[in-house]
Amino acid sequence: MKRYISMFLMIIICFVLQTTVFTKLRLANVMPNLLVILTASSGYMYGKKLGLFTGFCCGAFVDLMYGDVVGICIFIFALIGYMDGRANNLYFKDDLSVPITAIACSDLAYGLMFYVCHFLMRGRLDVISYIVRVMIPEMIYTMVVGIILYKFLHWLEEKMYPPEEVPLAKGDKAQ
Amino acid sequence: MRKKTKITIDPKYILAVLLVFCIAVGIISYRFADKMAPVRSAAGTVITPMQKGINSLGRRLAEQIDYITTMRRTVDENKKLKKQLAELSAENKLLQQDKYELENFRKLFDLDQQYAGYPKVAARVISSDPDNWYNTFIIDKGTDDGLKKNMNVMAGEGLVGIVTEVNKSYAKVRSIIDDDSNVYGTVLENSENCVVTGNLNLMNKGVIEVTGINGDVKIEDGAEVVTSQISDKYLPGILIGYVRDLKKDSSNITQGGYLSPVVDFSSLDMVFVITEVKESAELEEMLK
Repeated sequence: MKRYISMFLMIIICFVLQTTVFTKLRLANVMPNLLVILTASSGYMYGKKLGLFTGFCCGAFVDLMYGDVVGICIFIFALIGYMDGRANNLYFKDDLSVPITAIACSDLAYGLMFYVCHFLMRGRLDVISYIVRVMIPEMIYTMVVGIILYKFLHWLEEKMYPPEEVPLAKGDKAQ
Repeated sequence: MRKKTKITIDPKYILAVLLVFCIAVGIISYRFADKMAPVRSAAGTVITPMQKGINSLGRRLAEQIDYITTMRRTVDENKKLKKQLAELSAENKLLQQDKYELENFRKLFDLDQQYAGYPKVAARVISSDPDNWYNTFIIDKGTDDGLKKNMNVMAGEGLVGIVTEVNKSYAKVRSIIDDDSNVYGTVLENSENCVVTGNLNLMNKGVIEVTGINGDVKIEDGAEVVTSQISDKYLPGILIGYVRDLKKDSSNITQGGYLSPVVDFSSLDMVFVITEVKESAELEEMLK
């Protein structure tokens, strides 16, 4: 329960930062997607359920504040959380390559799904240019910011639940 | 000992339920937009104060940094500007005279300030879209300040967008460079109608699309495009931008090209909302 509450707070913080500070930090007209990073890393670190929860909250915020039709982003984010939750059994504390790959894939998947739901439906057909102009730059930027945010989440996790007191899910048994 | 019975649901089913839930909510929000409004504004009233806070903090910080870095440049600029001011004030006097004359002529023609005097309210941009796909943003004025849906938003002298959603203390604005935006425009010099469409692919180049201009008319680069009389949501006569690189369409009937907007959308901070809704838009809302 504590994890859900702390994750919810993280979501609010990231959402506020995403919509204010990061809009000013655009590079090549794209900005990193903090919410995808958060959803992907929570799914990867804590499993499907928390991934779904995080995805749901992120999507709900985006849809309620900025979307026209509520529901599309909720489902996209929830699906990302769920998919990254599947990678939870690969979870290993000090490994960075898996979570960063997961974040990159999630962001690309997010871009593709968003394109299909919002742009393809309106007859914007040139997928390639959207991939090159929006998705790939966003993915790279997200990856870089993802490393920092993931490390921070990790640090937070260790502060909140010191490893010797509360054994983590599966990864810790391997130690 | 009490047995712990913890109900565990397979996340698969949660996902499935979520899918159904999302479809249902999607349909509800699309079909009954007004019923969803309280839920939306509830989320907004929690988030917007935080965004406002972060923004003002950031602005103050940026101002401080700016202050230090631009000091020297400012001194140089000041000298230059003083010189320019002298020239301009001389020019201004001449223009004042012209204006006086023009007003007299206008009165004669009964054309008194058809375009210039829209009532405006200044607003600050609080936050923008969290992704790279759309170009909507939120301003810090809402129904409390007399804003309504479909009001036009300007910055400086150019058109920025339109209010698409109003809540108590904030409003959502869709800018004209948004991929979903279509504006009826008029080329000022010969009153040819055209459609100005936002385009995500062209946004990197700082231009948007303009289409549907009569193919037989010759229009030079840099011609001004203003909002058209025939637009049902935009008030007439607001400057949108300048056309560029017009080419005939394959149909040979119309021509289209690029339009570079007057407003710099990358650094939007203060905007003006015109507190006047075009009658046709008002009528449309009423008929709903």
